[in-house]
Amino acid sequence: MANRIDARLSSVLALTVAFFLLSLQTVAHHGTNISYDHAHPLTVKATVTEFVFKNPHAQIYFDVKDEKGNIEHWNGELTNPSNLMHAGWTKKRSEQELPPGTPLTITLAPAKAGTKVGVVLKIINEKGEQVLLGRDQQVQ
Amino acid sequence: MRNRFSLIMVVAVLSTSPKTFAQTFDPHDLGGIWSRNSQGYGGGGTCRGCGDRGFNNDVPPMTPWGQARFEANKPSYGRALGSSGAAEHSEEAIGRRRAVPPGQGNDIVIACNPSGLPRMLLYPDPIEFVFDKSGDKVIQTFQWTHQWRTIYTDGRKLPEDPDVPRWYGYSVGKWEGNTFVVDSFGFDDRTWVDHFGYPHSDKMRLQERYRRVDHDTLELSMTIDDPKTYTKPWVSQTKKFKLLKKEEISYDGWYAMLEEICAPVDEVDNFLNRIVKPAGGVDK
Repeated sequence: MANRIDARLSSVLALTVAFFLLSLQTVAHHGTNISYDHAHPLTVKATVTEFVFKNPHAQIYFDVKDEKGNIEHWNGELTNPSNLMHAGWTKKRSEQELPPGTPLTITLAPAKAGTKVGVVLKIINEKGEQVLLGRDQQVQ
Repeated sequence: MRNRFSLIMVVAVLSTSPKTFAQTFDPHDLGGIWSRNSQGYGGGGTCRGCGDRGFNNDVPPMTPWGQARFEANKPSYGRALGSSGAAEHSEEAIGRRRAVPPGQGNDIVIACNPSGLPRMLLYPDPIEFVFDKSGDKVIQTFQWTHQWRTIYTDGRKLPEDPDVPRWYGYSVGKWEGNTFVVDSFGFDDRTWVDHFGYPHSDKMRLQERYRRVDHDTLELSMTIDDPKTYTKPWVSQTKKFKLLKKEEISYDGWYAMLEEICAPVDEVDNFLNRIVKPAGGVDK
């Protein structure tokens, strides 16, 4: 996966995200934030395998190729549907944007446990547009 | 002539002051959808405008029974157990500095069990008050988990020794001046006071005092009297709620709270088993 991660982009994003998260101390429905390592975010080239718009949090499942070309399966936690809806990301719009096979650039804070799970901080599509909400954009 | 002009100016200023335009309200009407978020809609557990998410950082000493229950609870909110932040913030009660990943904790809410009271009142999602026209009861509905409770205002007394405890207890309400006072008893002791894992017993008495201080603001202060768990009553800070405008709580033109049912097929089979547990390094 290492060759798939843009190191420079990761460094800049790491500093930005770390600053944001230190100042926000956001919490989620189930206290899941504490499971993730926000000090070391990753940015990966991903391909959507499944998108779930359901309570308590939306989820995105995606594949990432590692340096040997092997496929890693990742599970990504997103914000909750009510936050997305308030920002105009309705279920229909979100699902239309994220069908299986969609290529994305995803920045996430990985699980401290080292498993292939992360809380998604930002999603960028092939056009360079942000999809859904960044961590800092959730309804406050 | 000059005095007359001054008088006209004073009247003009007074008539355009914000106070003059403040919306009138009936202090005995608490109906409507309220949010703890001072900035408007608050939802999804992420709410910077909600103030303290706990009952109160100032916790009374616990009894040995209460202390044992407190130590057995493993919450996932607050500062991480053993972290530098937990060590550096000794001004925060220890309950706020012992969080573990939810996959490793024992918060029963995560598996769709009820939040109970007062925890549900501390959650940032909207709450609606519905005053029954008969005057016999008040219904409080909660967006989070699509839950509700009944507060009886028909003059009945609380049960002294209820045979069956309830997740949301037994509640009666009355007006004391402009304050709506709700007394509750008969709670299931498996719920937590707040998401920091503070316990209560089946002997807990909860009093809620609601006061509408202006058209858009509702204040709530609470007191827990639970001698089995705490050595003296525990008083909350004053929690503030903002009346949501229709456009703030409408989806596709549908003015209503969302249906945030905690459905096990979504929250346990899917979110808990596919995200929360593996994120905590725990197998299904």
